[in-house]
Amino acid sequence: MKLFCRRVIAALLLCAVSGIAHAQEKTAVRQGFELKRNSQKKILVFRPAVSVGAQSTGGMFEPNADWTEKSKANIRIALEKFQRQLGNEIVIAPEAYGEDARKVEEYMALFSAISQAVIEYQFFIGNRLPTKKMDNKAGIFDWSLGAGVADLPGAKDANYALFIYNRDAYGSTGRKVLQVLALLGPGIAVQSGEHRGYAGLIDLKTGDLLWLNADSQIGGDVREPDGSEKRVRQLLEDFPGSAIEKEAAK
Amino acid sequence: MRKSSLFALGLIPALLLAVTADAHKLRTSGVSVAVADSGVRVTPTRDWNRLDVKPGKKAETWTLDGTQLNDVTFYGGIEPGNPLVKERSKKREPLPKFTAATLVVEVPELLESTYRAYKGLAAFTVESTAPAKFLGQDGVRFTYFFTDDDQLTRKGEARAAIIKGSLYMVTFDAPRLHYFDHSIADFRALADSAKLN
Amino acid sequence: MSLFHSAVAGALALTSAAADKQTVAPPPPPYAGVYQPQGVDEIGMWREDDESERKLAASALVIRDEKLNAYVRNVLCETVGADRCRSVRIYIMREPTINASMSPNGTLRIFSGFLLRLRNEAELGAILGHEFGHYEKRHTLNRFKAARSGTDLLAWTALLASMAPSYDARRSYNDLELSVYGSLYRFSRDNEREADFLGISYLNRSLLRPQAAASVFQGLMGEFEASARAKGLKKPNFSKIAFAASHPPDAERAAYLTLLAAPAGASRDNGADRYRGALAPWLPAFLSDQIKLNDFGASEYIINSLAASGWTPTLWMARGDLYRLRGNPRDLVNAAEFYEAAVQLDPTLADAYRGLGLSLIKTGRPSDGQAALRKYLELKPDAADRAFIQMMLPVQGVGQ
Repeated sequence: MKLFCRRVIAALLLCAVSGIAHAQEKTAVRQGFELKRNSQKKILVFRPAVSVGAQSTGGMFEPNADWTEKSKANIRIALEKFQRQLGNEIVIAPEAYGEDARKVEEYMALFSAISQAVIEYQFFIGNRLPTKKMDNKAGIFDWSLGAGVADLPGAKDANYALFIYNRDAYGSTGRKVLQVLALLGPGIAVQSGEHRGYAGLIDLKTGDLLWLNADSQIGGDVREPDGSEKRVRQLLEDFPGSAIEKEAAK
Repeated sequence: MRKSSLFALGLIPALLLAVTADAHKLRTSGVSVAVADSGVRVTPTRDWNRLDVKPGKKAETWTLDGTQLNDVTFYGGIEPGNPLVKERSKKREPLPKFTAATLVVEVPELLESTYRAYKGLAAFTVESTAPAKFLGQDGVRFTYFFTDDDQLTRKGEARAAIIKGSLYMVTFDAPRLHYFDHSIADFRALADSAKLN
Repeated sequence: MSLFHSAVAGALALTSAAADKQTVAPPPPPYAGVYQPQGVDEIGMWREDDESERKLAASALVIRDEKLNAYVRNVLCETVGADRCRSVRIYIMREPTINASMSPNGTLRIFSGFLLRLRNEAELGAILGHEFGHYEKRHTLNRFKAARSGTDLLAWTALLASMAPSYDARRSYNDLELSVYGSLYRFSRDNEREADFLGISYLNRSLLRPQAAASVFQGLMGEFEASARAKGLKKPNFSKIAFAASHPPDAERAAYLTLLAAPAGASRDNGADRYRGALAPWLPAFLSDQIKLNDFGASEYIINSLAASGWTPTLWMARGDLYRLRGNPRDLVNAAEFYEAAVQLDPTLADAYRGLGLSLIKTGRPSDGQAALRKYLELKPDAADRAFIQMMLPVQGVGQ
């Protein structure tokens, strides 16, 4: 029986990862998966869960609808642009209702649980499971949502599905001052702004997770078109077969 | 009314320094090993991970991919008067106890009640309860499902027996989407291998 | 609407008569109609709220029983009036705890644990009206703004305290934590009072008994006392501690709710029969959810208060389960008695025979127990534990 609230553990780990700067893996590809350039594959995108707001000094997240709307639009435009470079076509999933909507939500929840398990138990060095350590050595990255994904709305018209999760909080001035003071003082890392992004590519026949980018400290101000491009670039920079150039520095 | 506040988020990383490296242990295929500080030994048929954090004095958790996705918990000889897992607060949030009067057929209710009380769940259903051997004794095999606070519905399968007045049990919980079916055979092989010295 | 008029007129007359001291809540202000969010904070909150409602609507924990949903909705409309009612979507959640909330975009959540504890339609109307009051007054926005400055202050002080790691500094930080939270709660309590006030205004104007608002809190206080007693804890001090710290202490609340209620309303119907009827199909499940939380005192209190209007087979069986699951030797004797009472009233209640059989076997009456278990399988041939129970039948004292 799991005794700890998974969300708490995930929050702890995410904070640790971003608060204490060290080389943390953030992307992985399933062994043997390759996406050739200009392969004309269709990629289904479910409502990107994007939420943008400011972070007050106390760390409370303040949602901002205008930013969220802009970010969604910016991210979609940036996605389409990059995918054209990859020679793939983005298909936006149809709006789901009733039983279909419940199914999509449950798979979204599963994707989020898998992303967290990957971060907690495969990427996070101090907490890595022994079997995942062996997997890492053998280049194995084996996670799946199962073949049931083939029944998701829109799945028949695409080869892959891209699941995206983004949460951004831009630090308020008070928090930035606090951050500087904290570094001078007792060595507590106070984050200014939380930027989390997960993106995962799922094979719509097998449900296998082909590629995952789970970054808990990601760049790019998604309120601006340029920033969104940077975000999508970072989310997709290690995308299999990607011709997208990596940013020199994050 | 039940809103969690995100106060002092910035201080959380400090707590994290407590996490030690290499906390979890490998359980190698084919190698017999004692579980839950009890006389129970299992011989896994594939590699597993034993988590460092124990849910109770006489319990331990194994996983393949993380407890979100597959969770095997062994309960090794719970004595009458004790809860299955460690109580957060003995006084304020007591958990149901295994008692000298608990019948094997009531063990599913004990597990259900423990999960509900610990996690504050309402959506928990015992699906089937049938007689089965466990640790070479007459025991019970039961299945159940419940919806967790992360909105995932998980399925579970367990085996239990009461031996010399103490409760022995092993449970397997995994999301009903893909993960339960994917690893149930591995769990059953593990449970089949369990022996009591 | 004409039906409401006499009640309102009555309430108004009483208000002016007793205006000096005990003020009955005045009728609610005219409904402002559909509201759209304004400003960065509010528009942002609505957007988040819309997203969260999408998730909620697809949640496995929502009870989708059409009849129960229609009933709860109808009580809300009866309470706040048809115009206000239109702006609300109700979600009944299968959660065994006491909670109801309404968010800025008109999403009303009520937990099954709350439905289990209410005794009549007027009490349900009081809770729904209270939540609607928060919504009409747009309290979430205020609470959010207050919480933001409160947590800002805490982050600063935590840093200062850790920079000067003397015990004094830590203590003053702890004190500050209390006082900052204290002011958050006080702020929020003002909101709660305002919502209570508005909630009673709706009830005074409705056909339901407004005094029910006070009885909800009297009921909850009784339950918390019983729960504490069974755990060997001190009796909760209701004038200091509220059940959810952000709400007015229950004793104070029950008192002022009584004063706000229009006295003429006391003779109105409280809809207890209709409420029991609507909840009946779900009562066994909600009771079982509660019993398995392992809070003996609270569960016993709830069962007894439901039984105030007469013991039913469902209630006897629930009480049997409660005692059998605690499992002390004396509990098992009691459990057997309660199950007996259940099957006396309803000889087709299969699960009661199961509980009876198991309890009898455990109290040293194996043959009587086996007879009850046989009856259980006869009434419920497809029982989930059939195979196991069958195995227990021929042999005496199996299971140990």
